Amino acid sequence: MDKQDMNEGQSVFNLSYLKQPKGLWSWLVTLDHKRIALLYLSALIVFFFLGGVFALLMRLELAHVGKQMIDPDTYNILFTLHGVIMIFLFIVPGIPAVLGNFCLPLMLGAKDVAFPRLNLFSYYIYVAGAIMAIIGLSNPADTGWTFYAPYSVRTSTGVIMMTAAAFVLGFSSILTGLNFIVTIHRMRAPGLTWFRLPVFVWGIYATSVIQVLATPVVGMSLVLLIVERMFGLGIFDPKLGGDPVLFQHLFWFYSHPVVYIMVLPAFGIVGEVIPVFSRKPLFGYKMVVFSSVGIAAIGFFVWAHHMFVAGISDPSAKIFSIVTFAVAVPTAIKVFNWVSTMYRGSISLTTPMLYAMAFVFLFLIAGTTGVYLATLAVDVFYHDTYFVVAHFHYTIQGGAVIGLIMGLHYWFPKISGKHYNTIVANIAWALIMIGFNLTFLPQFVLGMEGMPRRYYDYPAEFQNLHTISTVGAFINGVGYMMALINLFVTFVWGKRFAEANPYEAIGLEWRAPSPPPTENFDQQPIVNHGPYDYGRVALH
Amino acid sequence: MFRFLPEQASNHAAKVDWLNNLITDISVACIVAICGAMLYFAFRYRKQGNSDQETPHIEGSNFLEIVWTAFPTLVCVYVAYYGVVYFADMREVPNEELEVMAEGQKWKWDFKYSNGKKTTGELVVPVGKPIKVLMTSTDVLHSFFIPAMRVKADVIPERYTYVYFEPLKTGDYHIFCTEYCGTEHSGMRARLKVVSEAEFNRWLEDDSDLLRLSRLKPADIGAELYVKSGCNACHSLDGSRLVGPSFLKLYNSAREFADGSKIDKADENYIKESVINPNAKVVKGFSPNLMPSFDGQLNADQIGAIIEFIKTLDGSSKAIVSGGTTSSNVDRAKLSPKERGELLYKEKICISCHSLDGSKVIGPSFKGLWERSGKLVGGGSYKADADYIKRSILEPQAEVVEGYPPAMPSYQGQLSDDEIGDIIEFIKSVK
Repeated sequence: MDKQDMNEGQSVFNLSYLKQPKGLWSWLVTLDHKRIALLYLSALIVFFFLGGVFALLMRLELAHVGKQMIDPDTYNILFTLHGVIMIFLFIVPGIPAVLGNFCLPLMLGAKDVAFPRLNLFSYYIYVAGAIMAIIGLSNPADTGWTFYAPYSVRTSTGVIMMTAAAFVLGFSSILTGLNFIVTIHRMRAPGLTWFRLPVFVWGIYATSVIQVLATPVVGMSLVLLIVERMFGLGIFDPKLGGDPVLFQHLFWFYSHPVVYIMVLPAFGIVGEVIPVFSRKPLFGYKMVVFSSVGIAAIGFFVWAHHMFVAGISDPSAKIFSIVTFAVAVPTAIKVFNWVSTMYRGSISLTTPMLYAMAFVFLFLIAGTTGVYLATLAVDVFYHDTYFVVAHFHYTIQGGAVIGLIMGLHYWFPKISGKHYNTIVANIAWALIMIGFNLTFLPQFVLGMEGMPRRYYDYPAEFQNLHTISTVGAFINGVGYMMALINLFVTFVWGKRFAEANPYEAIGLEWRAPSPPPTENFDQQPIVNHGPYDYGRVALH
Repeated sequence: MFRFLPEQASNHAAKVDWLNNLITDISVACIVAICGAMLYFAFRYRKQGNSDQETPHIEGSNFLEIVWTAFPTLVCVYVAYYGVVYFADMREVPNEELEVMAEGQKWKWDFKYSNGKKTTGELVVPVGKPIKVLMTSTDVLHSFFIPAMRVKADVIPERYTYVYFEPLKTGDYHIFCTEYCGTEHSGMRARLKVVSEAEFNRWLEDDSDLLRLSRLKPADIGAELYVKSGCNACHSLDGSRLVGPSFLKLYNSAREFADGSKIDKADENYIKESVINPNAKVVKGFSPNLMPSFDGQLNADQIGAIIEFIKTLDGSSKAIVSGGTTSSNVDRAKLSPKERGELLYKEKICISCHSLDGSKVIGPSFKGLWERSGKLVGGGSYKADADYIKRSILEPQAEVVEGYPPAMPSYQGQLSDDEIGDIIEFIKSVK
């Protein structure tokens, strides 16, 4: 980059949303979707770190058979906090709140989301829920993030504060979803028809629908649980005439679709990254879109596959097994289309592209191991073993978290106006891949050997695999730290200013300066081509 | 490749494992093929130099979309079908099943057989017979998992659930709790013992423990419970101060409590209250909230037995608790070998299985035993000389007299050679 470009970058930078208006207060009351995205991001990283530390403490305890350093009650609290924080405070808001907020209006060619004030309000509801959760840490629950009754009704630990926090966080999620749905319907640039929408926007759309429809149900069930604890009404506790299986139905009616809230936007990011770095249209664009919508729709009718051995009737177990298989098909279709996009491309192995390829590998493992769990007779064996633990970490960490990290790298020049250090980023990628697989591949084997989950201690025959898993977890942790610190250091002290469209991508967000000014575009963009018309649309 | 499931020990295992391994093989093939294609594309079509090569504008292919929609759909239908069918097999219990009741409680498994026999932490079943374990919970959710049998079901309070399996080989297998249930969740394990049908029937009919208890005095049962229920960890018998007050001279003594109240006599009702509701009256100088309630863990008979035991601790003789009964601390050196043997006969509870009057209890009567001969289980014969009796005490299962169950525990390490000699002298005297 020569000096003139540098100066140009500097002047764009000073007009950006990051610099104008100035002052802490202007950030705290900002209505700018991009600033709100960064507010979310800073909170999420704190909780990602906290949840990660809890996970590493657990892995340390499990490294060797017998007691290492903490007692069983503390261990039970650790896995509860790890789950509650990672799910409700980190990965459910995750991609939609950060990358959805930042990119959605830009990708639609809009100035902001449909309801900017509501957007800020959603953020402060999230902050309120987060503060409640932090207060809850003084008397943490030991129920697991699933809060199963009647254990959660009877334990002496602080279930009420934790569930109340999750309840409040749900409102943030609902309002964000509502905001995005309206934004996508009403704020598209001229010419941006539904089938010209980038697949990331489709992913956010499908996710938002789930957020709006499913979140109220978990809110209700958590309130019922609180009422049960406070007044002993007899809804879930069989001693009082309640039904513990009912709680599981209500809980999973939300908490299964919620995994699609986590991964559908990540699917979308893969669908952005692969075409850009292959210089090819996304293969089978419409099938990829339909499969996202299909997953979101079918995802509402599979919840009881978490309950095959929970005491539900045999016919319902059979039906839920079959419906669950129906989700596998659209997921497979996506993978085939992503890989086919690379065929005869001109492929640059940039950091986001490396993450996208890692995502395909990890999600293949996540998806195929999901088939074991959908298969009724086989799930009887695997239910509540380490196989399940490994499976959902492949979907949620290998899917949603890798998706978030991939998206942060991909849009980083747009967000910060700067270029991160690629070598450091790629080393971090390698550490994450090695660490992650080393942590969770052995857990599949543990599950196959019959090791139950949520165990503080275990028979000695399981020890070697546990030790390997612990080593992997620490490598994984170092990888994430390295990736995030690299981005943070660049964000604050980086000097290499990014051009508006460093990847020569077609998406509308790349037409805005990097970083964009508060109102995003100088003039209203007009769209006259599909989202990935590489090889056909002249960019210059 | 990737075969890690535990040994196939039930009728379900081969089917489940076949399906599992089928999924593994298809999955591995798909992952290798797709990732292989991805890596090949990444290499073959890598960007050359600094500028992009021209790429074709390919939007998709209806043919390929149909292929890769149909292929996973067919695989899914096939796998789902067998998953449902094999699951149905797991739920369909044949008529001639053996039913065992199981109860999950934080943090142990209790099993009850149709003849009333009860075990804790150990499920004994015969090989080759269909077993139905009918389960419920007394507190929170648990889940009953036997990896080797490939069965699992949640255990729910106020409801019954079941697992069914047919063990194919004898052996000793893990039983785990797989539904999180609190502090000792990972310690809530039991053993499954699959034994031959003959051995199972012998084991099932062996009620020596029940019979033995029925022949003991309440105070002696109380003495056993004092050890078994762990009272001895906090309550001494010799007046020394542990975590809780000593049992010595407790009965009918005056008590002063932490809240300033008093009673003149620690009677049966006071002791019972202290067992059921330990914090109601805490003796001055001791801490509350340390003793757990034994409500539901000890029944009325057992509490009564403990009270009777406490009554015997009046200081008139030093109590000895060993494996069960107590006896007064007499100066044994002054006794003859025969008398010492008689004392041991009572202390070591030989008394509950071996009569002195020729009646058949669980083991052979001691009356006329000396130098008697007869047949052994499994062929062979015995002559009750000193060597035989000693072997019978140390390795009771080795030579079992025909017509009796192999029920006696070994006294290896519990009796010295001198003591065994004393017992032999005593047996000689019972004519």
